Amino acid sequence: MAAQTGRTVAKWCKFRVDDSAGTIRDIPINSINGVGLTYDEVDLTAFQDAIKGVLVGHPDLTLTITGPFDTSAAQAPSTSGQAAALSGSHTVLSGIVGGNTPLGFAFYTGIRHNWETGEPVFGLAASSANGLICTEYMVNPDGTYSAKFRMAAGSAVPTWGTADIT
Amino acid sequence: MATGRTVTKHWRVYADGYDLSGYSRSIGPLGISFAEEGGDAPALTDAVKGVLPGQGTVMVGTLNAIFDNTATSGLHAVMNAVDQRDIMVAMGIRAAPAQGDPIFVAQSEQTAYVPEADGMMGVTIPFGAGSARATTMLFAKPFGVLLHAKGAETAVNSAVGVDDWGAQTTLGGYMMYHAFTSNGTATIKVQDASTNSDGSFGDLLSSGVIDPSSSPLSGIVATATGATVKRYLRWQIVLGTATTVTFALGFVRITV
Repeated sequence: MAAQTGRTVAKWCKFRVDDSAGTIRDIPINSINGVGLTYDEVDLTAFQDAIKGVLVGHPDLTLTITGPFDTSAAQAPSTSGQAAALSGSHTVLSGIVGGNTPLGFAFYTGIRHNWETGEPVFGLAASSANGLICTEYMVNPDGTYSAKFRMAAGSAVPTWGTADIT
Repeated sequence: MATGRTVTKHWRVYADGYDLSGYSRSIGPLGISFAEEGGDAPALTDAVKGVLPGQGTVMVGTLNAIFDNTATSGLHAVMNAVDQRDIMVAMGIRAAPAQGDPIFVAQSEQTAYVPEADGMMGVTIPFGAGSARATTMLFAKPFGVLLHAKGAETAVNSAVGVDDWGAQTTLGGYMMYHAFTSNGTATIKVQDASTNSDGSFGDLLSSGVIDPSSSPLSGIVATATGATVKRYLRWQIVLGTATTVTFALGFVRITV
């Protein structure tokens, strides 16, 4: 099936992040916040201006996800047109929290079907300098987890695209 | 051992050698959070604000439990005074915890004991961060693997072990044991091996000789921070004067 355009629902979204060995994995989520960049809004208004004026500074990204605690074995990630091939959330996240190695990541938005090349993706392929850092991993009393990510210091900026990130 | 998702009715909560599962309603959030250093002060040329992980804070959260003043082992008897606590949460996967299941462990300071007179009387027990008295201050990881689910053993272990990581590591680790009861002295050990066969295992960590016959015991024993931990892990005991010892044992392999 070809890439589609238009509206969609969350069941067609998938999130993936590198595990501790640098292999990207689909993991189960039931919420995600912070996809996209937020820029510092620097107020440069002078007294003499009639209206406020700003310029944007550095972008920032704080990504938080929640989902079911899951100890399933690691799976090869899905490809274009496939449903997410879920690795265990605990299997992946317990191994990367607090690590200094930048992690590749991607958030895929399938348009009314499993994501296909040509549909929106936000993320960044990892390299030695580029990617996320997992700064928090919590297992909640209801059997779910939450995790928080920030960009690694000195990283390139993640972008929206339409190609698979591996 | 199963893998996959689970619900918390299969969790078990141990504190200082006591099994509090029968009193516990919920515990958590359980985890670790790292300081995000440098995020507000990027270099002029940085493409995006970025951080490096600073010190971690291990969090046990809050134990919500049922008030029970059973002598010696009841929740009220065990937890009514604040102290450093050895906490282990064994996370059974759709069944009671079994060897290979995940665990959360921490040595944390209990910061209160607050009975709640509302309906069936409960108790709220909050925990602070990892204790400054803890022996795990050099290890920023609270998640590990259960090597022995709570149960009695009367002989040495000749079974194969657990492959918890898929490879040998060189960053050390630590064990936590909860010795619930015995009829004499015993030693609880973690053994590791490069090949998963009985004759290949050697001692990695040991509780030393302990005697939980009169009251439960717990503890953490850590390797050096750069110690090699071979791929496969298993529990082991050495019986002293005891012929049976009931315990739970977990190991945290440091990987980052």
